[in-house]
Amino acid sequence: MKATPIVVLVLIIAVIVAAIFLPDTTEKTELLVVHAGSLIIPFAEMEKQFESQNPGVDVRMEGHGSIQAIRQVTDIHRQVDVLVVADENLIPDMMYPAYADWHVRFATNRMVLAYTNRSRYAGVINGSNWHEILMRPEVTFGFSNPMLDACGYRTLMVAQLAESYYGNQTIFRNLIACNFNPTFSVVRDGDTATVVVPEILDPRAKKVVIRGGSVQLLALLELGEIDYIFEYRSVSEQHGLRFVKLPPEIDLSTPDNEAMYENVGVDLGFRRFTSVGTRRTGKPIFYAITIPKDAPHPKLAMEFMEFVTSEEGRRVLQAMGQPTVPPIADNPDKMPAGLRGADE
Amino acid sequence: MKPPIPILIMCIVAIAATACLHPSGTEDEMIECNLTLVGDCTRVLSYDEIRAIPSCEGRGGFFTTVGIVNGPFECRGVSLEELCDLVGGINATDTVWIRASDGYLMVFNRDQVRGDFITYNPVTMREVPHIEPEVMLMYEQDGGLLSMDTGGPLRVAIVSRGELLTEGHYWVQWVDTIEIMK
Repeated sequence: MKATPIVVLVLIIAVIVAAIFLPDTTEKTELLVVHAGSLIIPFAEMEKQFESQNPGVDVRMEGHGSIQAIRQVTDIHRQVDVLVVADENLIPDMMYPAYADWHVRFATNRMVLAYTNRSRYAGVINGSNWHEILMRPEVTFGFSNPMLDACGYRTLMVAQLAESYYGNQTIFRNLIACNFNPTFSVVRDGDTATVVVPEILDPRAKKVVIRGGSVQLLALLELGEIDYIFEYRSVSEQHGLRFVKLPPEIDLSTPDNEAMYENVGVDLGFRRFTSVGTRRTGKPIFYAITIPKDAPHPKLAMEFMEFVTSEEGRRVLQAMGQPTVPPIADNPDKMPAGLRGADE
Repeated sequence: MKPPIPILIMCIVAIAATACLHPSGTEDEMIECNLTLVGDCTRVLSYDEIRAIPSCEGRGGFFTTVGIVNGPFECRGVSLEELCDLVGGINATDTVWIRASDGYLMVFNRDQVRGDFITYNPVTMREVPHIEPEVMLMYEQDGGLLSMDTGGPLRVAIVSRGELLTEGHYWVQWVDTIEIMK
């Protein structure tokens, strides 16, 4: 029959068109979670746990510095389902009211000085003498670039707070400033000290190492190429490092010390992002989570957020070395109805 | 009437060719972008004017904040220092401010413009010395024009004769202005 080849051809075309254009019903829903780089290990575990409870969901985790994470939504206009940052203040500063109008605080951290058994003076360093040990000529240490990483500008705050705590006004100069050319300056106004970062950070000797972020510093420490790095406690624990626990008055961990922390600030050398200014003020470290207003899967995003902030989710985070806090919402009245319990 | 099998086959072939031969469409599109150079004077170069400058090439890649490796790629573009020379050149104490259309900014000193970066082995991620490093404004990656998704049409790239990586912060995407600050 002459019509048969035409029918066959039409069927083949129909199958090809259907294969190309019709949705695959077995395809999983992708949930894009953009998170702070320091959460990479605990959030890999959150991904595993959430997917095992929700087999139809493929959680895609993407880590960035916190400001870059927010810029994925505000400047680059990507459709992100869940956003998680290491500095809760960035969400109101950069996202309210156009891109989000609430967030939930759920985790915390503290600054420590991480080291290994091979580090010089590993056997004697402690929370009282760390700054004296680091100043010894043969000791090397590193921190991340404050222009690029929150842990970097928080290191400058720790060094500045240490001056008041230990009653030694030379700590910042002798530990950090004297090792750079051009160098940092410190502007004092009453009780407030602001560290001004030069445009280009160029250590003048091998004593201090500066790198873009934790990834590079951890590698140098683990290879024994430097003795100490300033790092978050959670990251140090996740990498099995030893660490000096710094006094709570300087480690940016405790809300009770907030007024003290606010006495130090950092003015970054240039405005790397037009969407956020150059001033960073000392604050306790709190991680926060939000769902952008244009999230493609808001219902699923809420379920993920509920999981992160639930007791079960917090147990997972704690097991991975990430300290948590009871969830506290900012602007709870603007949250989706099912989540308002977060502020209770 | 004869069955229109040849017509149907031609339609299928045409659809397939449209889908497969030009997947991105980038090759055939006119790229409209300007680069503003600010130094002793100000110059605005069109994309075609940038392409007309003698090109340089090399291999380079980068890694993100969380250590995800991209590349190394075969990169082609225009030397950053040559672009600076078009508006008076850079002195030892100058800095070069490279801005992007999304509001991103990165600052380089003269040594960095000349390729003085810490470089990493893409397999071990250990720091290694670089060979003939160069910083370019890239417009071609692995033989194809840069798309918006890969930071194009113009992106900073740090290349050398080896297979090395640098930190991703310096690979500024969507570059629209290069300014020499005295």
